[in-house]
Amino acid sequence: MPSHSFDILLPAFLAGMLVLATHVPLGRLVLERGIVFIDLAIAQVAGLGVVAADFAGWEPTGWSVQASAALAALAAAAFLVWTDRRFAAVQEAIIGVVFVVAASAEILLLSFNPHGAEELKDLLVGQILWVTPGQLLPVAALYGGLLAVIYLGGIRERRVLFYAVFALVVTASVQLVGIYLVFASLIMPALATRRLAAAYAAGITGYVVGLAASLLLDLPTGAAVVCALALVTALCAAARAAVPPGG
Amino acid sequence: MKILFCTIAAAFAVALPAHASINIFTCEPEWGALSKELAGGDADVFVATTARQDPHQIQARPALIARLRNADLAVCSGAELEIGWMPALLRQAANGKVQPGAPGYFAAAEQVQRLEIPSRVDRAEGDIHPSGNPHVQTDPRNIRTIAVALAARLNQIDPAHGAAYAQRRDDFLRRWDAATLRWQQQGAPLKGARAVVYHKDWAYLFAWLGIEEVATIEPKPGVPPSSAYIAQLLDDIPHRNAQLIVYAAYQDPRASQFVAEKSGLPAALLPFTVGGTDAAKDLFGLFDDTVARLLSAESARAKP
Repeated sequence: MPSHSFDILLPAFLAGMLVLATHVPLGRLVLERGIVFIDLAIAQVAGLGVVAADFAGWEPTGWSVQASAALAALAAAAFLVWTDRRFAAVQEAIIGVVFVVAASAEILLLSFNPHGAEELKDLLVGQILWVTPGQLLPVAALYGGLLAVIYLGGIRERRVLFYAVFALVVTASVQLVGIYLVFASLIMPALATRRLAAAYAAGITGYVVGLAASLLLDLPTGAAVVCALALVTALCAAARAAVPPGG
Repeated sequence: MKILFCTIAAAFAVALPAHASINIFTCEPEWGALSKELAGGDADVFVATTARQDPHQIQARPALIARLRNADLAVCSGAELEIGWMPALLRQAANGKVQPGAPGYFAAAEQVQRLEIPSRVDRAEGDIHPSGNPHVQTDPRNIRTIAVALAARLNQIDPAHGAAYAQRRDDFLRRWDAATLRWQQQGAPLKGARAVVYHKDWAYLFAWLGIEEVATIEPKPGVPPSSAYIAQLLDDIPHRNAQLIVYAAYQDPRASQFVAEKSGLPAALLPFTVGGTDAAKDLFGLFDDTVARLLSAESARAKP
């Protein structure tokens, strides 16, 4: 057994646990409201915020990139709160539109400044294996506060709070683990089971299996975890179908 | 259950380096091939990227960290080619032996005279490498210089096998010099040819063979072409008197083939590194195939 395999995977595992901690409860609400693509839209707008700030000539230091990403994500959240009130029936379609428009606006802005592409890539395609303890600490602090809001703040009833919390959670998680894993961590545990504790367990199992598979079979780590989460979700669904309701 | 354990054990056996005196981590296939030529059975050589991957970016896998952590020597192009992933990998591996500046970190591009060093680095100019063009492996004379330097480095890292490294180096250089002479003679008709390239991959190859780069299909390095740019390029190609289009095996062929079709110029797909084409099995095959493919594109133009 390679002696180092555990500490190679430890930061990635911790990043996954942070992401799951916040995404599992939010994913249940997202599924309830039928707005599953909201994370893709918010992340894309956060990226647009960075590209726009770059376009406006701001020096992209670490702090100002985070600030412009978070501001753009919060602005998108505010817009989606308004459309949720005004056009509730087509909210999911509007979310889809926000996603493609933000992505296309990025392409237009980047055609003037190709260097922004690197910042955009860093923001949208985080790689879970490259996570460092230095990245985990600020996210852990942020998520600690947001978890208190998620569990104690009544976000199910307070629409504005839900969208604001969601924007901040996703802006941070996408940079850690990338957009595919964010979507998978949000939706798949919620799909696997209705019970919160079981959803956490399904998510953790998916991460453990995916990380182990990527180590043993030499696979790209993020993609391996996504597929493992899907496998766990499918097994949970099959188990649920086999057991009669209430059983 | 037994089968599961066997599978896991087998996976670890594959993941672990075979017994050899030193472990070499190479960033690109060309340096993997050169390390094997010089270190033979005295080293276990791991190659981080394949010929079909863009060496500017790569997906993170745990084995990359494990291999770099165990490495005694890392051989990379350097000159910022791997800037998108090697710093993260070096940080995660936390192996002091192979950090840049240590004897265990060998940057091939730093051993030769680099071309296209920009007089100023402007963010608006695309993915410019401030240290010059890093794709040094496309000139066999560079491979020779780098082979000499790498053999010296192997001797420094693993002096116990110094005699074997020196002997393999001399054997390699003898075969390489003969082959280089042959490629130069074969490639003589290419002198003065004018080429449109996809990415600025070929500065060294062209300097060696006397080919002139007259346009790039990418408007700026790392930026895919827009339709307006392609239209402008197609208008310009007759005025620039271009004769062929050159692109690398790792690149998306669509833009190059589109320009080839519209302009009527022959397009040459070149292996770019060891493994890029079936014929490019080692460093010798790489240049055999590169020269052959350029000649065949050149003669396709001459015929019509």
